[in-house]
Amino acid sequence: MDTLADIAELAEDLRQVTVEVTDNDALLGSGVLWPAGHVVTNAHVVRRPEVSLRLADGRRLRARVVARDRDADLALLSAPGCGVPPATLADPETIRVGSFVVAVGHPLGVRGALATGIVCAIGPIDRSGRRWIQADLHLAPGNSGGPLADAGGRIVGVNSRAAGPLALAVPIDQVTRFVRAAQV
Amino acid sequence: MNGLQSLSNDLASAVERGGRSVFGVNGRARLGSTGVLWRQGLVVTADHTVHVDEEVTITRPDGRALTARVAGRDPTIDIAVLKVEAPGVEIAEVADSDAVRVGHIVLALGSGPRASWGVVSSIGEGRRAKGAAGELFHLDLTLYPGFSGGPLVDVQGRVVGINTSGSSRHRQLAIPAGSVNRVVDELLRRGRIPRAYLGVSTQPVRLPEALRQKLNLEQQTAVIVIEVQSGSPAAAAGLSIGDVIVSLGANRIVDPTDLKSALRPDTVGETITASLLRGGEPRDIRVTVGERPRRS
Repeated sequence: MDTLADIAELAEDLRQVTVEVTDNDALLGSGVLWPAGHVVTNAHVVRRPEVSLRLADGRRLRARVVARDRDADLALLSAPGCGVPPATLADPETIRVGSFVVAVGHPLGVRGALATGIVCAIGPIDRSGRRWIQADLHLAPGNSGGPLADAGGRIVGVNSRAAGPLALAVPIDQVTRFVRAAQV
Repeated sequence: MNGLQSLSNDLASAVERGGRSVFGVNGRARLGSTGVLWRQGLVVTADHTVHVDEEVTITRPDGRALTARVAGRDPTIDIAVLKVEAPGVEIAEVADSDAVRVGHIVLALGSGPRASWGVVSSIGEGRRAKGAAGELFHLDLTLYPGFSGGPLVDVQGRVVGINTSGSSRHRQLAIPAGSVNRVVDELLRRGRIPRAYLGVSTQPVRLPEALRQKLNLEQQTAVIVIEVQSGSPAAAAGLSIGDVIVSLGANRIVDPTDLKSALRPDTVGETITASLLRGGEPRDIRVTVGERPRRS
């Protein structure tokens, strides 16, 4: 089945751009290798100015927290010299309800675990009016900060938390805006 | 484009297409539900989500609110039909639900639109005898809050059923489109959905092993008649207190719920066979299903 082979390939590609964020070997969450030597993760994953990263190839390096926005639940880390091509970002306009999406991360310490589903809705879940990509897939602690990607492996959001069986991810347009603002 | 990307596009297009006929239904406190424009001027939803008897506010796919009127209900399969003029909203394309097979990829749509996906995990009545209320689709997908009453669509975006979390609210079921069509046709034919009526009260009863073997009955339970309303179809057919009803028409009766499920709206006026045990002996009697007297 071509489609199943495609999913395996997609998962493998995404694992290369997904890092473990750790503190003294304790897993804090996941992160995404971003262009220009950065890593994006959730604000709730990094609570200290420095953390450790473990790359897919097993190498470890230190990363400094460059910016952190608790409201957006995003943090930008500086991790120069990891030498791995960063993730490809999706065009926010292409994200549709019903599209196939995958999440990669380290839920409950399981390295590089894959979850598949579809985009359930794009929009607020409560009166706060805050926009989320709501995905019909299961996240667990350890997925936080990891990539939500489309069928082509392009990042459509950064996984933030679960709301029951629903996964909530920060939409890519908000992530790029945050990164741009942090890089002044 | 690889196979996965084309599947992804197909799913999103199915949501877009199916979503053009999807309404939000505000028929109960707190949690709204979903409906679908089934025929011209008729929105179908799940009966258990409509707590009002007359007017319901519904929301078109473009977000505009409308007032609909409850045109009929069939609680036996959890379907309510609302009457509304909604010019410009596309009528759903309803597919042949008999073509649905276990393993098919399906999408559940909520108003918004919102969507979840999964597969048909089984087709049947679960623990119940086949045929009582017609078959149901059991789904391996999440029905998020508010999804009840919304369409189950195939990968082409065609409607194959109406989703419901069931009476327990924790199940993932869909009523096949074929069963919904029967209810809607009945409404159009008669101008209302009649409530079928026998006029008996029953309780479940365990069948003695010896009797089951003697009569070659597979079922372990049936229902015993504890009341026959005077002037009712049951009284006219000669049913008595103490009769044990084993089956009605083609439907095996294991408990009182089966009896209710067997009395579908389209059985009104039909003469069907009730298989009884009376004094330990089997007996068939013919009963003409009546219509429940309407409250005035």
